[in-house]
Amino acid sequence: MTEPPAISLAEAARRAGIKPATLRRWVDSGVVPRPQDGRWTPASVSYARVVARLRKRGHTLDQLRDASAQGRLAFGYIEDLLPTAHSDYTLEQAAKETGLEPALIERIYSTIGFNSQALRQISDDDLQFLRYCAAGLAAGFPLVAFLQMSRVYGQALAQIADAEVRLFHLYVHEPLMRDGVPGLEMAEEMEGLARELLPLASPLMDHVHRRFLQHFVEQDVIGHLETDAMGEPLDLGRLRVAIAFADLAGYTRLTEEEGEEEAVSAVERFVENVEYTLPEDARVIKTIGDEVMVVGGDPAALTDWAVGFQMLMTERPLPRIGVHYGETLYRDGDYYGREVNLAARVAARSAGGEVIVTRPVVEQSGSHLEFDLIGEVRLKGFKEPTELFLARLADDD
Amino acid sequence: MGSIFTSDTEFRSLMDQVFTLMSEDPDMGPRLRAANVPQRFAFEDLGLVVNVRPGYEWESENLVWEWTDDVDWEPRVWMTMTSEIANRYFQGKENIAMAIARRRISTSGDVKAALALIPITKPVFALYRRVLQAGHEHLLA
Repeated sequence: MTEPPAISLAEAARRAGIKPATLRRWVDSGVVPRPQDGRWTPASVSYARVVARLRKRGHTLDQLRDASAQGRLAFGYIEDLLPTAHSDYTLEQAAKETGLEPALIERIYSTIGFNSQALRQISDDDLQFLRYCAAGLAAGFPLVAFLQMSRVYGQALAQIADAEVRLFHLYVHEPLMRDGVPGLEMAEEMEGLARELLPLASPLMDHVHRRFLQHFVEQDVIGHLETDAMGEPLDLGRLRVAIAFADLAGYTRLTEEEGEEEAVSAVERFVENVEYTLPEDARVIKTIGDEVMVVGGDPAALTDWAVGFQMLMTERPLPRIGVHYGETLYRDGDYYGREVNLAARVAARSAGGEVIVTRPVVEQSGSHLEFDLIGEVRLKGFKEPTELFLARLADDD
Repeated sequence: MGSIFTSDTEFRSLMDQVFTLMSEDPDMGPRLRAANVPQRFAFEDLGLVVNVRPGYEWESENLVWEWTDDVDWEPRVWMTMTSEIANRYFQGKENIAMAIARRRISTSGDVKAALALIPITKPVFALYRRVLQAGHEHLLA
């Protein structure tokens, strides 16, 4: 790698948005690390910029000196690897360039989850992004679906970016801080690693996305065939699916007795085991604490999975699983509605090691399973009682 | 006999290749050895049993297996299935949880330990299919 050109103190101060005298004072007082041999590098300029920004936010020089000594300001360098957003276009100009109404651009931004400031900083890259949006809509993708997809992209990518930053912080920055690596050296080390990692992120995500896309297209084809075979069309935006909720019985007690680390490990193993063993057409939609929500197209397969999964789980904490089959509202990559709530309530009625199901599941399931009627149970939040069954392997004859 | 294999010999030869693939794979082999889960597979339609264990410290192989119950180690996991299900299982076409519920595979012992092997052994699915594509196409699931 070629060495970056040396930067003068005056130029460093200009780039940091402060006076040269201020920068000199910060260096003398230890708020900004003294550049080696008096040579300012892009990394050391970034450091000064981070300090300048924190000063504007009201942090005292003493606070900043302490933070700098602990290496807590070093992470700021990495932002230099990302392109700065320039305000090249107004909202109206962007609208004119892309053919999208200003109100629609606002809506897309809000749906994706960009903050309101982003609309005042529309760059060339942003404009290109809006052109892609316009092309998608012009191709005939319905607006209602497009906006839902935008929200899913926004949420998923925000989670990815957040995880990238947090994991880098936890597993790179914190260990360096613990080792007492000097601020500037730490910053340069992290910047070097980030510079190598960043270009890999997009191709990696693109590949993973394509692989998943291929899988879900295949599942959709199967789903279409089977739905058509049932001959019961549903309203737009609604899907008939099997929903399972599973959690660990006694999780709170486990946390109290074994501590948070052990309890979290137990949950991680549980979620991994769920993911490894699910039927091909089912997937984890979300996890909430120790609870997992799974959705699949085939209620018989999902119930088989649930019963088989319980037989694989032989040690405490044992899972509790509830399975229901019904019509849901598909919105923003998630499933909503009465039937989803019902499935969650069914799971809550099960004990560790049990699989509790509803009648629609029983009617779709295979003869290798037996269903013991528990009775009509009034589930929390539901006026009408629900027939519940305990699913288990059929007895050997 | 009802097996999809042309002979017991074909089945044993292919299973030997599966275990060899897992043992010699630079990723799977050491991980399976470290997992330390001796397994006993019974293929009920053929009346065959194979016991698989991780290689001991002084052995170079990551996995060691013998087609008998007369072995000097105790399995931690027992799995029983037909040769047809074994063939599907090692191609990644038999979901273990569903297979248990559908009584295609029965398990006993430290099943949790066996569960931990699933992600490790996934690469063998593609490798086994490649073996089948070279002369055993009738077994492709």
